[in-house]
Amino acid sequence: MATGSRSITGMLLCRAGHDRVAFSAHEVATIESPSTFGGRAGSACQAFGVCTGSERILVAASGEAVGVDALEIDSEPLALLPAPALLERVAGGSLRGFVQVRGALWPLMSLVHFGRFLAPSAREAA
Amino acid sequence: MASTETETRQSYLVFACGSSWYAVPAECAAEVVSFPELTRVPGAPGHLLGVFAHRGEVIPVVDMSTLVSGESEPTRRAVLVRLTRGTLALTASRVAGVSQVDGRLEPLGANGVHLHLRGPARSAQRDVAVIDPEGLFDHLSQGS
Repeated sequence: MATGSRSITGMLLCRAGHDRVAFSAHEVATIESPSTFGGRAGSACQAFGVCTGSERILVAASGEAVGVDALEIDSEPLALLPAPALLERVAGGSLRGFVQVRGALWPLMSLVHFGRFLAPSAREAA
Repeated sequence: MASTETETRQSYLVFACGSSWYAVPAECAAEVVSFPELTRVPGAPGHLLGVFAHRGEVIPVVDMSTLVSGESEPTRRAVLVRLTRGTLALTASRVAGVSQVDGRLEPLGANGVHLHLRGPARSAQRDVAVIDPEGLFDHLSQGS
């Protein structure tokens, strides 16, 4: 089985409750707080079956947004492992692969597509 | 009739998850592993416990007990099933080993995951459900 990986630089490593998600920094236009964010964002926690308030809102240039509990910026080159074919449709097809940081895997999500995937939940919560 | 009887003369890896026994064609069963703490995948269904890295590949772990019966069976072992489309890990609380399976290979249900479990079949005096790996992969891909 081919397991080729490529390198990716500039990541936002985020916490969503006890779980982890990562986003490519170039996809994030602004990082806002819930009090200043004028739009509506789903929380990444919802995709793990729990629902908590978000501390930070990651906003894409096109307006899609995802809330997370905490984040750190990693500027080191990281190996991007391909997502298994079985997971192609998970979270609305927003899974881009996995990065391995300090021995742990982080799901790398498309901010735009993950934001759209979470958006209906955000509407229901409103 | 003859074709189904011939098919059941293949070798299978027989394993249990919870109280149910399963058989997967031996040529697809790459190895039995103890997996580490899993990374959960956002938006994944309940039977998809998470993923782990194994020899540079990200492997999704499927809880067979949750998938088939809806009841979780905690275990840290899994059978790696390797297909051309990718590898998946099926949880296994016990592994009986490789043996032949006698019986028929009719779908055990008309829809859902049972469409990809075949039988009635027996191995070493156990009732086993024979897994159609490609069908199961399709089912899991659609469900995620």
